Amino acid sequence: METVTLTIDGRPVTVEKGRTVLQAAIEAGISVPYYCYHPGISIDGSCRVCIVKIEKMPKLQTSCSTVCTEGMVVSTRDAETVAARAGVFEFLLVNHPLDCPVCDKGGECPLQDFSYTFGPADSRMDFPRRTFDGEGVKADVDFGPTLMLNRNRCILCTRCVRFMKEIDTDAQIGVVDRGCGSEIATFQEHGVHSLLSGNLMDVCPVGAITTRDYRFKSRPWDNPTVVDTTCTLCSKGCSTSAWLKAKPEWAKGSQLIRMTPRFNPDVNGYWMCDIGRFNYHWIESETRLRRPMIRTAAGLEKVGWHDAEPRLRDKIQEAAAADPDAVRFIVSAHAATEELFVLKQMVQGLLGADGLKSVSMAWTRSEKPQPPNAKFKIPAANAPNVNGARDLGFMVGQGNDGPAPDLAELKAAVEAGRVKAVYVLDPGPDGSIGDLSWLVEARRTGKLSLLAVQGVVMTPHAAAADVVLPGYAFVEKDALFTNDQGQVQSASLAIVAPAEAREDCLILAGLARALGLDIAYQTSDEVRRALGGAMPGTAYAGAGTVVFTRPVPAASWLQASNPSERWKWDFMFQDLPPVKGHNVQLEGLAREGAGPNYIPLRQVDK
Amino acid sequence: MEYAPAKFHKSARKLAPAGETFTYSPENQRRFDEIVTRYPPDQRKSAILYALYLAQNQNGGHLTAAAMDHVAEQIRCTSAEVEDVVSYYTMFFTKPVGKYVLNVCRTLSCALLGAERVTEELCAKLGIKPGETDASGTFTLLEVECLGACDRAPVVMVNDDWHERLSPEQAGKFIDDIRAGGAAAFTGCHLHKEKK
Ligand code: SF4
Ligand code: SF4
Ligand code: FES
Ligand code: FES
Repeated sequence: METVTLTIDGRPVTVEKGRTVLQAAIEAGISVPYYCYHPGISIDGSCRVCIVKIEKMPKLQTSCSTVCTEGMVVSTRDAETVAARAGVFEFLLVNHPLDCPVCDKGGECPLQDFSYTFGPADSRMDFPRRTFDGEGVKADVDFGPTLMLNRNRCILCTRCVRFMKEIDTDAQIGVVDRGCGSEIATFQEHGVHSLLSGNLMDVCPVGAITTRDYRFKSRPWDNPTVVDTTCTLCSKGCSTSAWLKAKPEWAKGSQLIRMTPRFNPDVNGYWMCDIGRFNYHWIESETRLRRPMIRTAAGLEKVGWHDAEPRLRDKIQEAAAADPDAVRFIVSAHAATEELFVLKQMVQGLLGADGLKSVSMAWTRSEKPQPPNAKFKIPAANAPNVNGARDLGFMVGQGNDGPAPDLAELKAAVEAGRVKAVYVLDPGPDGSIGDLSWLVEARRTGKLSLLAVQGVVMTPHAAAADVVLPGYAFVEKDALFTNDQGQVQSASLAIVAPAEAREDCLILAGLARALGLDIAYQTSDEVRRALGGAMPGTAYAGAGTVVFTRPVPAASWLQASNPSERWKWDFMFQDLPPVKGHNVQLEGLAREGAGPNYIPLRQVDK
Repeated sequence: MEYAPAKFHKSARKLAPAGETFTYSPENQRRFDEIVTRYPPDQRKSAILYALYLAQNQNGGHLTAAAMDHVAEQIRCTSAEVEDVVSYYTMFFTKPVGKYVLNVCRTLSCALLGAERVTEELCAKLGIKPGETDASGTFTLLEVECLGACDRAPVVMVNDDWHERLSPEQAGKFIDDIRAGGAAAFTGCHLHKEKK
């Protein structure tokens, strides 16, 4: 790597050639404010707050658009820079409504924080502030199905414009009008229609763009903890952070309040899609399965595990007695690798080496409406672990790239009466396993003698089942998923599952024991260690040593993960050790002693 | 996807009228196709101003949403990018304007020589305020910044033509002259004439 060495505030700083002065300062832990610069999109140089003094240059320079050269001498703290920067801040706030108390960004707002640090103590603005669309919160207008726009708060950094143009590649947002009348707008006020729209809230450095989903739901100081985890709603497996809102003291526990992307250069960059961001409500919804249920004359009845397990065992044994092939499994590719591993041990234990034949993997597929050249593509396969299933030897057809499985063979076998019992493992959201209405029908007509469903929410097939077992959703367990690139990633436990639910791999282990097998796992850690031992020489060999992240105080989340929020750490938590490079996760510096929370690709190559 | 049950309110931003379906006339299409060849293929967007003038003139002096959509299609960019340009430049209009658009310069030299009073006189004569179009739909009055002919201030630009040294006293007569003789009433731009 070619490097250059420059001096910033008297400190020698060495960076890769081609980096800008702002990037060099950030890497060196020197706080320079910025708004229009975002590491994921092109440089604009329009907000002017990043100005610094560079020796031998006649005027102050915008550090975000000045490339470092050898021997450059930069100052960010001299009187001239400080005064000029304060002047820029005064202008930025001339028309800003300062409605922080009702603004969603308040508490995590670069405009607040930088203004306090670098801005003038007060404003000389005597005139009424310019307003768009009325005053106060009434200024919030529709900005498409997912977003709201408050133009009064906008500082015209044009990050949103550039995000749409460069990453989404459908430039739906523009700056209309000019001068102090400039406003962010979409053509004919159509709003933003994009599956990447939620990222606009992330890139907006003020509270101008907010999501309807998170709007007025919480404040940053109500979300004391964050968990770094992995999205499991499609095969991409974006690195995400799950934000937990503290419930009122009397309610105990915490609540999943939002999902944000977490920088991962190998997978998702700085972004995530709206499906992953907004589709989490099912986990804590009314339809959540909380206790095991068995069918009685009166319908599904809530029971204890000690009632459900024997019932399940008896029914399975009854069906298998005549013909072992009469018992089949339909497994959603939302199942984690641990679950698939235990299932594999179970079916092979029961049916011998070709036991995997009794398992049909299932998932759905949908082409996502996105511009053809979008820089962030959402895969068509709506399941996180098709590759995990493939790696363990399950039949997945052409995998993520091929069509979703149609289960025709199994369906024919059920209709012909050859299959008597079907066990469905469905830990994803409703519908993610595909259409199982034929199964419901087969149970209704009595072709099946047992329909058992292990899942998270009440689905039509769960409602028709004889035995329903509540498992854990992906944010409720530590689990491994293998994404479409073959990268083994960990999704960490963020929220606590309902008390009577059980971790999916342990439900399967329990069932295996009930069926007389010697599968003794008590924790998913044990499963991972066994998995690692069973698959030496593969990416899974290290499964037993994967470190799962734990809820961390939001402040240290800021220093550890989202680089676009780095400014905050840079000056608010200066007593903490410096962060080097962008992906602290990867470099293992985030938390002392913690390894990366996924197995990096290079390990797979070995 | 619908994430919020509540209905939020719409922006109060002034929008261009939707307009009738718009496509270039064969003549304009030919001219546009010729103009784009002057730019490198990857910089097709550079032709946007010309494309917009063609559309605005064809549409009788102002642009509609349909016209902007058509220009976006021609330029191969999004309609939002077209509106971005349209709203930036003062010579593109998104509501109907009169046959003559009077742009009175209000920058320093013209202001010192009474441009403000010129505007007042024109307003009085036409019975409108700056930014409006008169009842007959003949005149639209606008105030603009320096027109680059400061030594012959006060200057008024009428459509694509200049009229120099328009004193407040002559303003009323100027309107009558245009009504009577159209473009013949303009002095034209002295710089332009001298260059010839
Ligand atoms: S809406 Fe936000 S991101 Fe867009 S220009 Fe305004 S401040 Fe920047
Ligand atoms: S692209 Fe896939 S993995 Fe990434 S956020 Fe969207 S659904 Fe989740
Ligand atoms: S960050 Fe440098 S000008 Fe905006
Ligand atoms: S000041 Fe009016 S033309 Fe320059």
